[in-house]
Amino acid sequence: MSPSDEQLFPGETALITARGLKKAYGRTDALRGASLDLHAGEILAVTGTSGSGKSTLLHCLAGIVRPDDGSVTYGGERIDRASEERLGELRRTDFGVVFQFGQLIPELTALDNVALPLLLAGVRRGPAQQRAGEWLERFGVRGQADLRPGEMSGGQSQRVALARALVTGPKAVFADEPTGALDTLAGEQVMTALVHTAREAGTAVLLITHDARTAAYADREVWLRDGVVDPGADAVTVQEAARHEG
Amino acid sequence: MSTRHVLLGLLAAGPCHGYDLKRQYDARFPQARPLAYGQVYTTLQRLVRDGLAAVEGTDSDGGPERTLYGSTDEGARELARWAGEITAPAPFVTNEIFAKVVVSILVAAAAARTGQGGPDAAAHLRAQRAAHMERMRELTALKAAPGADLSTVLSADYALVHLDADVRWMTTTTARIDTLTAEVHAA
Amino acid sequence: MRADIRMAWTLTRGSGRGEGWRIALTALGAVAATGFALAAVAVAAVRGQVSIPFAHGLLNQPGERAGVVLTLVLLLVPVLGFLGQCARIGAVHRHHRMAAMRLTGATPAQVRRIAAVEAAFPSLPGSLAGCALFAVLLAAAGHTPPPLAWAGFAVVVLAVPVAAALVGVLALRRVVASPLDEVRRVGPERGPRAAFGFLAAGALISAVGMLLIGPTSLRAAAFPVLVVALVFLTGTGVIWAAGASAAYLGRRLTRRARQPAVLIAAGRLAHDPWAAARTHAALLLVTVVGVAFVGVRAVMLEILHDSGTLPDDLAFYTTGIDLAGTAVLVALAISLCGLAVGTAESLATRRRGLAAQAAAGVPRTVLARAAILETALPLAPALLLAGIGGTAVCVAYARIAGTGVPLTPLLVPPAVYAACLLAAATSLPLLRRAAHPAELRFT
Repeated sequence: MSPSDEQLFPGETALITARGLKKAYGRTDALRGASLDLHAGEILAVTGTSGSGKSTLLHCLAGIVRPDDGSVTYGGERIDRASEERLGELRRTDFGVVFQFGQLIPELTALDNVALPLLLAGVRRGPAQQRAGEWLERFGVRGQADLRPGEMSGGQSQRVALARALVTGPKAVFADEPTGALDTLAGEQVMTALVHTAREAGTAVLLITHDARTAAYADREVWLRDGVVDPGADAVTVQEAARHEG
Repeated sequence: MSTRHVLLGLLAAGPCHGYDLKRQYDARFPQARPLAYGQVYTTLQRLVRDGLAAVEGTDSDGGPERTLYGSTDEGARELARWAGEITAPAPFVTNEIFAKVVVSILVAAAAARTGQGGPDAAAHLRAQRAAHMERMRELTALKAAPGADLSTVLSADYALVHLDADVRWMTTTTARIDTLTAEVHAA
Repeated sequence: MRADIRMAWTLTRGSGRGEGWRIALTALGAVAATGFALAAVAVAAVRGQVSIPFAHGLLNQPGERAGVVLTLVLLLVPVLGFLGQCARIGAVHRHHRMAAMRLTGATPAQVRRIAAVEAAFPSLPGSLAGCALFAVLLAAAGHTPPPLAWAGFAVVVLAVPVAAALVGVLALRRVVASPLDEVRRVGPERGPRAAFGFLAAGALISAVGMLLIGPTSLRAAAFPVLVVALVFLTGTGVIWAAGASAAYLGRRLTRRARQPAVLIAAGRLAHDPWAAARTHAALLLVTVVGVAFVGVRAVMLEILHDSGTLPDDLAFYTTGIDLAGTAVLVALAISLCGLAVGTAESLATRRRGLAAQAAAGVPRTVLARAAILETALPLAPALLLAGIGGTAVCVAYARIAGTGVPLTPLLVPPAVYAACLLAAATSLPLLRRAAHPAELRFT
């Protein structure tokens, strides 16, 4: 942890702490000892070139894959050692995920896709649909409630995906290139919606992107290179972020 | 940007005094370098000298006396010519960051010969990138703020895509800094 | 043509593990198809009254032989269904590939030829192996068929890959028409055409079987012909019912569902209600036959007991009935394999989406329950109707024979239903792999 972190978020500990993460796929090292703090309510961009290990870092932090080495701590709990059931429960209740595409069920309407996490949490169908409708409203896609993902534009279905990720009131949302398949304008609508809603709800966002303009929506940025967080860039941005926060 | 043409354009709507012109200018072009009050008057006087604008009278409106300026027919023609003219796309490449990187490499090589530490071009690029990103975050916060008007959004967008271009250039340059160093040394 | 074959070979060699499964299972299906067809030809080639020391002399009389031939030919129907399921393995992937080839400038004829070769390629070794196996069996039995039968064998060995090639081309007809493969899924994939196409193919096979028996014995076998026609008629109704009920259930349950698993399954049903009918067409047909057979068997045994047949003759009749029963069981087994393959294929095709669901915290148990429900929901009404259809056939038979109506056929649909759920459950280990986060890495 860099010393300025304590000054940056006084009286606040990190929501998720990753230390020395290592992960290899076959003979390819995706992560080689990456460390990172995600603070409550902050929007953190992780940038880096293709193959720098961005997505793997997100997968490890969200409890989707287990790192080969290192630790991920969330609320005092070691996520890297948690059982599959516990990880599933965390991803259902405390975390939300948004990928570039593919996270919506193609056969369900936008409304049902957003209601699904609530149904999984045991909410009854009627209230679940009503809350899903409110979230579609927030993201400006209420009019698309009865459409299936294939019938919507890319920007619309990404906003539905955001609604689905946020509907359970998670502590953190993990977004992996959420605007990667969109044009500039659609991408900006998605990012604006994400940033506003996350700030309103106090949800932390870990945003993976290779695009500086998308990363600029975040409060701070870490730069990932060859599977480790680039120390120089991080130190600078942390100071800059302190100025920004002040 | 040609200030005289922009002022001439603002006068096209009807006669106006210098103070209102400055206020209009700052409102129409948010985030641009604010126009100095003195610069407005010097520019207006040059326009009158060249026959593109004319003094239309004065009013006091209870306060100090102020001069009203209006556009002339010649001014309207000149404005049409300027507005229709294509802006030359990057006639010269001016890139201060690149100049600093090359100079850093040269100085570092000279310092290495005398056994002293020199500047680090890659570190400089990283620091510059961080500064760019900070500015981009400011501009993004400005345009993403609820109730931001379109002029603000478009102005911020213009700056953002330019800064983004710089950031991309810095990213690819950082990745190829060793090849560049070798090339600079060889030359 | 040489270039097309080489291209198809390169594509097959360069493809993933799914393609390996398709080739292996298709080859297996081809072995079965060739085996049944060759056996039918061999039995049909026997002329007049002979003495074959097999199954209490079942093959001695021309009349009984006709029945055996018809049974063997009818066994081709479930095999066809199975082969159809195998052809679906990796179909989405092949569709994309063919569309890419069309985009880079391949002509429709070229794509069609490559698809045909690709489809025929795994069935040729299968049919050759089936032929070799059959030749060994014939040699072991010491039977030498007449030259005409050998000609028939050659036709069968060639016909199986040709049929496979035709199916392959038919499956790709939409891609051939448009190089832009459908990336977005809006409407259902395909309507009921494939299911009824399968029925038509089944009816064609039966007609060929009738021809193989010969017109003279056909007149004698008017009753079996009537039964076959009735079965196909019932089958058509059952398949239609499967689609219609799936559409109704899907619509109703997507509105009413409270369980996430039911919602997911219902959404898929409503989106493509004919998927189940396509996958289960052969199974439903076999169920109709099974229910009818169990009833007819009970009636026949009652008649035999009442008429005081000699024990020797009784053995002859029961052997015949038991052999027919075995055929029904074999058909059921093949259809269940087809169902298992279909469920597995459906999971494999959707693996990226499933991985994304699992990553988003949808428990694997919910995904597994949805996969099973997807088979269970549309099958329940369809099997009910199949049971009613089969019962109607045996009630009619019992009336004609003047015996009591047997109740045992009523046990068949629940038994088949349970077997189907078990078959669908065999694909669940695949779900574990499909929903693995590693699938997220490959787009």
